[in-house]
Amino acid sequence: MSSSGSARTVDARLSGFATLPWRRIILVVLGATIAFVAVAGAYKTLTLPEGERYSGDFWIDQIVNGLGQGAILALIALGYTLVYGILRMINFAHGEVFMAGAFISFFFADAYLKSGFLDSNTYLALLILLVVSIAGSTLVAILLERIAYRPLRNAPRLVPLITAIGASLFIANAFRGFFGPQPYGYPLPTLLQGSIGIFGISVARVQLLVFVTAIVAMVALQLFVNRSRTGRSMRAVAEDSEIASLMGINVDRIVVITFIVGGILAGIAGLLFALTFQQVQFTMGFKPGIAAFTAAVLGGIGSIGGAALGGFVLGVLQAVGPPLLLTGFGIPSPFSLKDAFVFLVLILVLVFRPGGLLGSGEAEKV
Amino acid sequence: MRSAVRVGAIAGAVTIFLAAVGLIGNFTDLNLIGTQVTFAGLMILTPPLLAGYVAITPRVEAGRLIELGRGEALAAGATAGALAGVVFGAFVVFVDTFGVERIREVFINISPELMEYLTQGRTAIVAAAILVAVSVAAGAAGAGYRTLSDPIRRPLGTAVWVTLLFGFLQRIVPIALDQLDVERDWMYSKVTGGLTWVGAVVIAAVAAGASVLKARKGDAIRAAIKGQRDRRADGPRLTPLSFALMLVGLAVVLIAPHVLGSVISEVLGTVMVFALLGLGLNIVVGYAGLLDLGYVFFFTLGAYTLALLTGATLNTFVGSTEPAIAFNLNFYVAIPIVVLVAAGAGVLIGAPVLRLRGDYLALVTLGLGEMIVVLVTSPWLEPLVGGPQGMRDITDAAIGNFGFRDPKHFYYLAFAFVVLALFVSWRLANSRVGRAWTALREDEQVADAMGVSTTAYKLLAFAMGGAIGSVGGALFAVKIGSLTPASFTVLVSIQVLGIVILGGIGSLPGVITGSLVLVGLPGLLREFEEYRLLAYGAALVAVMLLRPAGLIPNVRRSRELKDEDREQDKWASDVAADEHAATPITPLGEGAG
Repeated sequence: MSSSGSARTVDARLSGFATLPWRRIILVVLGATIAFVAVAGAYKTLTLPEGERYSGDFWIDQIVNGLGQGAILALIALGYTLVYGILRMINFAHGEVFMAGAFISFFFADAYLKSGFLDSNTYLALLILLVVSIAGSTLVAILLERIAYRPLRNAPRLVPLITAIGASLFIANAFRGFFGPQPYGYPLPTLLQGSIGIFGISVARVQLLVFVTAIVAMVALQLFVNRSRTGRSMRAVAEDSEIASLMGINVDRIVVITFIVGGILAGIAGLLFALTFQQVQFTMGFKPGIAAFTAAVLGGIGSIGGAALGGFVLGVLQAVGPPLLLTGFGIPSPFSLKDAFVFLVLILVLVFRPGGLLGSGEAEKV
Repeated sequence: MRSAVRVGAIAGAVTIFLAAVGLIGNFTDLNLIGTQVTFAGLMILTPPLLAGYVAITPRVEAGRLIELGRGEALAAGATAGALAGVVFGAFVVFVDTFGVERIREVFINISPELMEYLTQGRTAIVAAAILVAVSVAAGAAGAGYRTLSDPIRRPLGTAVWVTLLFGFLQRIVPIALDQLDVERDWMYSKVTGGLTWVGAVVIAAVAAGASVLKARKGDAIRAAIKGQRDRRADGPRLTPLSFALMLVGLAVVLIAPHVLGSVISEVLGTVMVFALLGLGLNIVVGYAGLLDLGYVFFFTLGAYTLALLTGATLNTFVGSTEPAIAFNLNFYVAIPIVVLVAAGAGVLIGAPVLRLRGDYLALVTLGLGEMIVVLVTSPWLEPLVGGPQGMRDITDAAIGNFGFRDPKHFYYLAFAFVVLALFVSWRLANSRVGRAWTALREDEQVADAMGVSTTAYKLLAFAMGGAIGSVGGALFAVKIGSLTPASFTVLVSIQVLGIVILGGIGSLPGVITGSLVLVGLPGLLREFEEYRLLAYGAALVAVMLLRPAGLIPNVRRSRELKDEDREQDKWASDVAADEHAATPITPLGEGAG
C-alpha cells in the first residue's frame, strides 16, 4: 500500500523525485486548505451583518429541498451500487436509464392532462405513470445489459466502461431522435401543487410524495435483497460469482435481475424527478447520473445502505453547501456553482475516503 | 435457420429504429448515385443485407465447425432478409392503420414524408410486400457476398464501399475538383448532387482494380517500400522509394489548403486541433493506461490561459473590457508558459487521484472536466474570463504580418504543432519512459515490483498529456479568435476519447485516422450534424464489441494478438479437418454461455 514512502531501487533519473512522499504531502496540504476554507467560509457567511444574512427559514427550506433531491439521488444511486456490487462495473449509462423512464412517462402525463384524467383521478393516474416510467427504464436497462455489457463480461475493466460511455451517448441521442431536442413541460396534478405545514415547517406536497415514495421503495428493496430467495442469490453473486455459479445459481439471470431492479428504482426516480422539476429533456440524465454516482461513492459503493445515506447526505450538501461556504467570500450567486460542488465532493471523497462513509476507508488498489 | 430468423428480426427492429430517429425520412433527397441510390434507401437495405451476411456465420457445434453450402447459405440469407422485411413491413402497416399524424405527436420523425417515401403512393399492404421482397433480395445478396471466393469478394466489396464513400463526399470532392480546374460534371451531377452513374462505374472500376492489384502484387509493393521485413526490428526502415513517397506525401500535405480551399481547410484545421488533443490523451490512455474522461480540462485550461496571456479582452454586451488580470505577451512566448502551466496542473490533479483504480480515476477526471467548465461560466470568475459571454480579441499568432486566423494559414500552424507532437509521442513510445508506461499499463503491481516508479511515471504521463492537450486548446483559441464556455463541454472529452479508441489505443496513425474520421467527416457532412453523437455512441460500443484494438492497432499489441489468432485458426482448422471426431470437443471459451 505505501508505495511512495519506502526506499527502494527506482529509475535513477527519477529517484530523488519519487522517494519523497509526494502524495502524502499534497494530500495533507490539500486537506488542510480545504478544511480551512470551508470553516472560514461558513463562519463568514453566518456572521454577515444583519440584512445580508440568510434567515433561519432559508436554511430550513434548503435542508428540506436537499432531502427531497437526496431521496431521488438515493434511488438512482442504488442502481449504481447494485450493479457495481454484482459486476464490479460502473454503469455509466444509468443516468440514461433514469431519463428514459421520465421521458416516456411524460407522453402519458401529457395525454392525461389534456383529457382531464390527471386531475379527476390523480391517484390512479400517478400509479399508471409510475408503472409506465418503471417499464421504460427497465426496458432500457435490460437492452443495455444484453447488448452492451453481457458480451464484455470478462473483458478488461476499462472496456465495459468505454462501452457504457458510448451507450450513454447513444441512448440520450436516440431519445433526441425519437422525441426531439426541446424540453417538455411535465404537468403537475393540482392535488400536488402548493405546500402543507408539518411541525411548523412548510413542505411542498410534491416533495412529501417524493420523500414517502422513495422511503417505501428503499424499504422494499431492503426486504427484497435480505429476505427473498432471489435477493439471497444476488448477495451470493456479489460475494463471489464463481462460487455462486457452482452452488447452482444462474449468474446471468441474477445479473439481468439486478439490472431490472436498478431500472425499477431509476424509473421511480425518473417520475419523481419529473414531478419535482416539471421538465423532461433528452440531456436530463447526465447530471443527476453523475450526482447519484457521487452519492453512491460517498456512501461506499457496493453498499445498499451506503447509497441511500449518500443520496440524502449529498442532497443536503448540495443545497446547503454552496450558500453556506461561498456567500461569506462574497462570491456572487453561489448556486451556479452547485454542480462544481458535487464534483468537488466526489473528488474529495475518492481522495480522502475512497471506501465512502460506510466503507472500509481504503479503495482496493488496481 | 433459427439464428437466421433471430438475426432477421433484429435487423427489422434496427430498420424501425433508423426510421424512428429520422435517418430515413430526413434523407430521402440525399442522392448518392443518380437518383436511384439515396441515403434513405441505403438505410432500408443495409440492415437486411447485414442480417444475411451475419446469418451464415460459420459456427462451432459439438466441436465441429459448421459451414453452410452455397444453396443453404442463400436460403438462410433470404430467410433473414425476409424476417427483416416482415418486421419493417409490419411497422409500415401499423403506422398507416394507426395514423401517422397521431404517432408523430410523440415520435417526431415518423412523418408523412417518411410514409410517402416508404409507400410511394401505394397502399400500405402493397408497400410492405414490396419491402419484404426487397429485403429478401438484400438478405440473399448479403449471404451470397459472403460465399464468394476471396479474389472476387475483395474487389467487389472495395468497389462498393469506395463508391458509396465518394457518393457521401459530394460536398467535398467536387469543390476540390473545381479548385483544380478539373471538369467534373461527368462524375458529380449538379442536378442530383450525387455521383452520376458514369462516375460511379468509373470509381468502382478503379477501386476494384486497385484491390486486385493489392491482392496480387501487394507484398511486392510493400517490400519495395519498406525494404525486407525484419520481424525483430520494431520500426519501418527507410528505403529510397519510401523516402520519395514521404516527400511526395509531405508536398501534398503542404499544398493541400491551396488546392482544397477555405471551407475544407477550416475543417482540416479543426481535425488537427483534435489530432493534437488525441495525441495528448493517447499518452495518458494509450501509453500509461490511465482512463481520463476529463480531458476538456486541459483543453479549456490551454485556451483560456493563452487568451489571458496574450491580451484578449472580455466580451460584454456593449463591447469589450480588460480582464481583471491582463498580460500582453507574444503567442510564441505565451505557448511555453501555457505548456508549463498545464503540465503543472497535470501533476497537481494527478497526484491526489493516482492511487485510484481505473474506473474511479475516470469518474474523478470527468468531475474535474465538468468543474472547470462550471468555473469558467460562473459569475465568480466573470471578471477574469468573461463568464458566459467569454473572451475575444485573441492573438492570431502572427509572425510579422502573417496572421494565422485565415483557415488556410491556420492549417500550417496546426500542422507544425501536430508534427511536433507526433515526433514527441513517437520518441517517447520507444524510449525508456515509454516502456515504463507500457509496463504500468499492462500490470501495475508487476511494474512496481520491477522497480518502475509508478507514481513518477503516472505523473509524467499526466503532465505530458496535459501539456499537449493545452497546446490543442491554445491553437483552438487562435483559430476561432474568441472563446465561450459553450465550446468546452464534456463532449470534447468524449470526442477525443472516441478518437483515441476508434483509431486504436496507443497507435499514432490511429489517432490521425480517428480524428479524420470522427472530426473531419462530421465537419464535412453537415447534414448529419444532429446524428453525430448518436453515431459516436454507436461507434464506441461497436468498436469495443467487435474490434477492441481499433482501426489501426498499435503494432506491438497487434503482433501479440495475431499470434493468438494464428493459434486459434490452427485449432479451428484442425477441428474442421477432423470431421469424424468420435468425441465432441467442448469449444474453448464457448462453454457455459
